[in-house]
Amino acid sequence: MTEEVEKILKGGLEVEIVPVEGELNVGPQHPGSGHMRIFVRLNGDIIEDVDLDVGYVHRSVEKLSENRNYIHLIPLIERPAILDSIHMNMAYIMAVEKILNVDVPPRALYLRSFAAEVNRIASHLYGMGIFGVFMGHSTAFMWGFGDREVWVEILQALTGARVTNSYILPGGVRRDITPVIMEMTEKAIKYTRRKLNDWKGIFVNNPNIKARTQNVGVMTKENAIRWGAVGPNLRASGVAFDVRKAEPYAAYDKLDFEIPVYKEGDAYARTLVRIEEIEQSMKMLEQIMREIPQGNILSDRFFKQIPPIRLKKWWEGQHRIVMPGYYASFRPPKGEAFARVEAGRGELAFYVISDGTAKPYRLRMITPSYRLIKVFRELAKGSRYADLVTIYGSLDYFPPEADR
Amino acid sequence: MSSVPDFIQEIQRKINNIQIKADGTNRYSIELTEPSKIKDLAKLLQNSGFDHVISVSGVDYPEQEKLGVVYHISSYEEGKMNIVLTLKTYVTYKEPVIDSLISIWPSAWTAERETFEDYGIIFKGHDELRLFFLPEDFDGVYPLRKSFKIKTEGIFVDRRG
Amino acid sequence: MIVFPGLIFSLITLLTAIWAERKIAAKIQMRFGPYYASKRIGGYFQLIADAIKFGLAEIIVPSNSIREFFILGPILITAFAFLPMAFIPVSQIPSSGSITSPYYRFFFDKFAGISLYQPIITPYSLLFIIAVASVVPILTVMTAWASNNRFSLISAIREGILTVAYDTLIIIALISMGIEYHTLDIASIVKTGVPGIIANPIAAFVFFVALLMGTARFPFDVAEADTELVTGAFTEYSGLLFVLSMAGPYLLTFVYSLVFATVFLGGWLPLMGIPGAILTVIKALIILFFSVFMRSVYGRYRIDQILRGGWKYFFPAALLALIIGMIGGIFL
Repeated sequence: MTEEVEKILKGGLEVEIVPVEGELNVGPQHPGSGHMRIFVRLNGDIIEDVDLDVGYVHRSVEKLSENRNYIHLIPLIERPAILDSIHMNMAYIMAVEKILNVDVPPRALYLRSFAAEVNRIASHLYGMGIFGVFMGHSTAFMWGFGDREVWVEILQALTGARVTNSYILPGGVRRDITPVIMEMTEKAIKYTRRKLNDWKGIFVNNPNIKARTQNVGVMTKENAIRWGAVGPNLRASGVAFDVRKAEPYAAYDKLDFEIPVYKEGDAYARTLVRIEEIEQSMKMLEQIMREIPQGNILSDRFFKQIPPIRLKKWWEGQHRIVMPGYYASFRPPKGEAFARVEAGRGELAFYVISDGTAKPYRLRMITPSYRLIKVFRELAKGSRYADLVTIYGSLDYFPPEADR
Repeated sequence: MSSVPDFIQEIQRKINNIQIKADGTNRYSIELTEPSKIKDLAKLLQNSGFDHVISVSGVDYPEQEKLGVVYHISSYEEGKMNIVLTLKTYVTYKEPVIDSLISIWPSAWTAERETFEDYGIIFKGHDELRLFFLPEDFDGVYPLRKSFKIKTEGIFVDRRG
Repeated sequence: MIVFPGLIFSLITLLTAIWAERKIAAKIQMRFGPYYASKRIGGYFQLIADAIKFGLAEIIVPSNSIREFFILGPILITAFAFLPMAFIPVSQIPSSGSITSPYYRFFFDKFAGISLYQPIITPYSLLFIIAVASVVPILTVMTAWASNNRFSLISAIREGILTVAYDTLIIIALISMGIEYHTLDIASIVKTGVPGIIANPIAAFVFFVALLMGTARFPFDVAEADTELVTGAFTEYSGLLFVLSMAGPYLLTFVYSLVFATVFLGGWLPLMGIPGAILTVIKALIILFFSVFMRSVYGRYRIDQILRGGWKYFFPAALLALIIGMIGGIFL
């Protein structure tokens, strides 16, 4: 004891900094992990390394798709991201249509864009809700899910299902829009515009949320491109890329919209991009409702296949497409196609190889969350432990979508 | 079918044994017969503005005992955003080895690792070739090869006696 | 015979606080909150049902924990969170005219010159409250260590770091009041008739912030951050022990709210007797409800942000409160 005192008197007080290192298994059973395990190596409060143990919700879409008919695959393919299922469905159908070489009537294209934008709003609200509760902001969580409800109701009225809509068919869509749905959409737009102001008050401009998100998880433009970020996360890092602009599909070449781009690349910028995209989507919805052309909603090539009894019962009565059973086993010609769409979380791509049979020879599904795995890993390195969930939420990483 | 733009045709002049063709609007496929040259080709493509990989897919051809490796490459540069290049090459069952492109495009990391576990294609130079989505007992089995058959269980219905 | 209804009263307060927290949050978040257990009174019995459910659940003690401390932890936390109530005067006993007047002599505080609803009469009640309440975080750290879980451990470290920050604020804020009123007896402070929030508003503000920090209320919920640390120090708990571990922080919030109501908001004045006690409790409940209401407005800050705020802004503010207390002491 006295020796220590002497030592301190001689050499001054020295504080020995002991590195506190340890490993932490965040998940798979953890409120902040989702369906995966985040293997975190901590040094004090700083994350040294992160390993994502994904695959807990792997549905084996790529293998199963080699054993199912093209049409039977639709419900499987939209399962990975049930809250973004219109986009999953659409990208797959676009790839199949390229192989089949079908032309889609303009009204069906508009309806595809309509459903996709409704779905995008719902997906963004869901993402922001999860992001909010990751930072302990329970109001954002409840509002996100509550405000999403009106959009999900519209999807239900349009497609018959709240999620996993299976709305889009090769050559068109299954159901037509009605004046009731348009009225619902107008109401929903009005409501969401009002609510977005409240969102800005309680969430976006909240000093607490700003402090938690600004300068957290900063991704520079170069890193965003290197790591392969997509969607709103890429646009928040200053890359003005959106598949809807770069390679317009559905009715996007006829719609006026802007893509919000921020340079900061932090979690806050990613949130702002999402908020502004909701506004842009609502603008597009208004335009679609104004300009939607009259006409059929299914390509004539397939429309002719519907037997007259069905046409009378479903098409003339309720404006629904009900295809005959043999439609499900069509055989596309040999060939391959690559199609991509801008899903809620980013670029979604399908690569389909057909060998002339009723089943795909190979189907490759690249989802936005799949491409975020690398981004998440790299961004989390060097951040504080409390920021792990902020980065996770701000990327809007969705494990089932990544696992497929 | 549109014609192949100049900057892609230029590549053909620099590297032998490749076939370039257009596969529809803004889709070009480059087929490389010598997989060992994939890195040189990737560097050339990177220099001409293709800065990220959308996907890496494996394709199994059991009759020819070979595996296809397909890279989908695109760009965030103005004017090239709508182009998707399909870079195809083949490796044999006996020697399923190819150079990894993560040193050129780190965005291929996830997809290369997945292609490794699904097809057993070894990407030389990849830093973490471990199982990814699959559980640990899948080691040595390549589920996306055609030889891997899905076990169907049938439908079980409880019947009251 | 003196019936000491404190425990039942605390239980009811606790349930009311949790119920109010859920109801207020539900109102803001466009939902109903607790509802089905008793529709007429807004689902109040839901909390009792929950308590019964937890009370009857099995208590699981992890095999690699320190068994004795693991079980003792939540019990001691609740006990020490409850104990400071013994030093808080809720109201003044009138010398005649009230049903409690016969006890006038038993609870006469000769330092303040009045008789009080205060179980233990002492001239150092502020000091005792600080002393007893500051044991709670130490017990939390002990609990976390005993439960041998990494999330608990991180929570304990956060709690430990945070304790230093907020205890300083609480002590300085209360000491500045003590200096201003020349006494450490809460009854004497109330008796002056000048509420502390007028005499020293900065001390009141600092105390309120420290109250939020000290009892893990939002936005300072870092030690129990559920998306990061599951349930913080109480991750491994279940059943009745979990109820106790939940109850402890709420009780502590209520204790600090009572201190706030008496020291800063004038306590039972201008009433006395039982109406005065009700007034004090209403004031404390307002503070309590306000502190739980923060949940629906804020997320949680990061630990480094809280520490920076605590030491860089609130600590100087606390020192300023001390100076104001010294100056104000001349006039009071």
